[in-house]
Amino acid sequence: MDPIGTVKDGFNQVAKRQKHYHSTSQAVTDRAFEAFVDSLVQIIMKHDLKTVLTELKLKLDSLSPINQLQESQKEWNTSLTKFEKLLGKSDMFPASSRSIDLDHQLVDKMLVEYLYRHGLFEVGDRLVKEAQVEVDDQLSEAIGRSLEIHRITEPLKQKDIEPAMQWISENREKLKEHGSKLELELVSLKYLEMLRQGKRSDALRFARAHFPKFATPHSEKIRRLIVALLWVSNLENYPHGEELFSLGWDKTSKELTKQYYHLHDQPSSSPLAVLLSAGVQSLPRILKLVRVMGLEKEEWEEMKQLPVDLELRDEFRFHSVFVCPVSREQSDEYNPPMMLPCRHVLCKQTVSRLSQSCSTRRFKCPYCTAHTTAAACRQLYL
Amino acid sequence: MEIDPVTNGNTDTVMAEPAPAIAPPRPVPSSRSSQLTESIKLEHQLLRVPFEHYKKTIRANHRSLEREVSSVVSSVGDLADNDWSKDVAVSRLTSLVSRLQGLKRKLEEGSNVENLQAQRCRARIEHLDSADVENITEWNNTKLKRILVDYMLRMSYFETASKLSESSNISDLVDIDIFREAKKVIDALKRRDVASALAWCADNKTRLKKSKSKLEFQLRLQEFIELVRADSYKQAILYARKHLTPWGATHMNELQHVLATLAFKSTTECAKYKALFELGQWDVLVHQFKQEFCKLYGMTMEPLLNIYLQAGLTALKTPYSFEEGCTKEDPLSQETFRKLAMPLPYSKQEHSKLVCYISKELMDTENPPQVLPNGYVYSTKALKEMADKNKGEIKCPRTGFVCNHTDLVKAYIS
Repeated sequence: MDPIGTVKDGFNQVAKRQKHYHSTSQAVTDRAFEAFVDSLVQIIMKHDLKTVLTELKLKLDSLSPINQLQESQKEWNTSLTKFEKLLGKSDMFPASSRSIDLDHQLVDKMLVEYLYRHGLFEVGDRLVKEAQVEVDDQLSEAIGRSLEIHRITEPLKQKDIEPAMQWISENREKLKEHGSKLELELVSLKYLEMLRQGKRSDALRFARAHFPKFATPHSEKIRRLIVALLWVSNLENYPHGEELFSLGWDKTSKELTKQYYHLHDQPSSSPLAVLLSAGVQSLPRILKLVRVMGLEKEEWEEMKQLPVDLELRDEFRFHSVFVCPVSREQSDEYNPPMMLPCRHVLCKQTVSRLSQSCSTRRFKCPYCTAHTTAAACRQLYL
Repeated sequence: MEIDPVTNGNTDTVMAEPAPAIAPPRPVPSSRSSQLTESIKLEHQLLRVPFEHYKKTIRANHRSLEREVSSVVSSVGDLADNDWSKDVAVSRLTSLVSRLQGLKRKLEEGSNVENLQAQRCRARIEHLDSADVENITEWNNTKLKRILVDYMLRMSYFETASKLSESSNISDLVDIDIFREAKKVIDALKRRDVASALAWCADNKTRLKKSKSKLEFQLRLQEFIELVRADSYKQAILYARKHLTPWGATHMNELQHVLATLAFKSTTECAKYKALFELGQWDVLVHQFKQEFCKLYGMTMEPLLNIYLQAGLTALKTPYSFEEGCTKEDPLSQETFRKLAMPLPYSKQEHSKLVCYISKELMDTENPPQVLPNGYVYSTKALKEMADKNKGEIKCPRTGFVCNHTDLVKAYIS
């Protein structure tokens, strides 16, 4: 059953009962009001005071407003208890949080870096003031970098590539070392934008100025771009259009940021953000693990390795990991991956087990049953 | 001679190629419910806070309504039973009528407030419901910001928190006010003033009673001790008579223990009673208040940041993260995080995932790994690019070994 659905239903019940209470209370007050007005009218019409008042009292008693209110409230209370049961007890992470000493000054510094990286400059400033963060060299460098990258990529949102081009020309050699295609992409995006706006002559002039230096390595692409000139009136139907349009301004901006940080030997995202995203993805599974295994606090604190794979998304893969398909163990320097002549890969321990530690004994590959020996296997370096 | 000629590394022959174990697909709707069950447990704080306010308002409104109505009814009874002159009766009745009118108005207003609060609760439930496969990155991004705001609130960086929540449009999902309230109480306690703490207890009386909280009792005891410290014994005794006696039934031992301080002066050397006069007792009170506060609103004592950070650290902890040449992209390459991750368990990998050293891309079935004659492995795409640029020549970036593109062999890693 969809848990959120049940929570929603439970809450709707509570709200419904509350509305019912409200209408009851309204009805009760209205009727009492009527009774009072009635009695007043009767008194003014010179009826006997005592009888009128006793009538009023009886009327009110039969109405029994207090009882009605209380009953309605009781109903509301029951729906409330049901709802609270649905919410369940808050999982106070009994076993999942070890008491680590988080130095809050450190966290504050990383927070400032995160805020600057994501363009939230004002918030970052405010934090520096409120938390009295000590802005040391490392932090001010990080801030400086964030400001610079913002200066370069912000104009891209308005399709202005000037600052970006300037930065690229300043760092041309280093970018070339990494095989960066940024300059070409930026130039093509701008060119296509001009075509889209129908500024044919501007586009041609722009092309004459910027395309020549890309002529040799990317001649085909340049050719396609130039030919697009002929389709300026209906650019969407250009047959080679899709691959040219697949570059978005967004994507290029992100690529630019990545390469900028790479050049400065810095991680491309704030480490705090990466850790927290990984945490957000993995905490539900960790909690489920703790619950299913019925771990006590001590058992959790002594655990050396998680017994389950948390299956994080690919963006959290920073290192090559080889897991032997037979023994399901991770390779390390003492147990490296070995490639058999049939091209399948097993870990060294599995190989030695299959060959019974004898380097010339023939054994069969578990995948393709090709015969081979331990000596014929090559160690791989990932 | 050792190799069976049939299966001589020919990639096109009919070889039993193991089906590459693809990593499990992205969360599909069928597993959404399990993800949501867990997420509700984690998002208690999000739902509880507006809900507690809603409950409180409804209960308070009911109580005041009950009081008003019963007083009206009893006035009528009083009028009917006794003999009053006509004028008095009429004037009394008219005043009761206007009271009823006022009551109706109050009912309307009260109902509006309740509806608003119910809306807030619903909005939060909706937000939890909105986590979908398509917008999961954005939803997670919001969650990140919420975690950060929670940290800032706990550290009392109120301005930064409000600015961040405004600029990220999450003002409906955070509760800045209750933290401000809590700060006021804590500051007062640090100034050794129990007034605001007692007011908070009175405000949340029913809830505290349900959880059998001793907070009010502790606060009263501390005030008593302060009176004794100031040598105002008579006042202390009066105070005890007024405020401490109702707690005697349940906490007699503690009460007796503290009352005995009357016999000692605040500068006593007797260890048992000296402890009670320690100024550190106020810190204990602050801690207790924080505990009650967090319990009331379903919050964890630690900031959410700590909990998620630990989860992230353990999820990303691999032996490779501690190596010398670890890539900067891995947060654990930084010394501070490494230290934090020391007591945490390593993550487990059950499937091979290879990352190309050159292009940093994943090597999967579309970009399979290729092996150089010296045993080093790189992705097909990266090697092809290198070969294209250097007329078919391949140079291993890590060892400098040179070979030709034709010497490369494809490996099968599942």
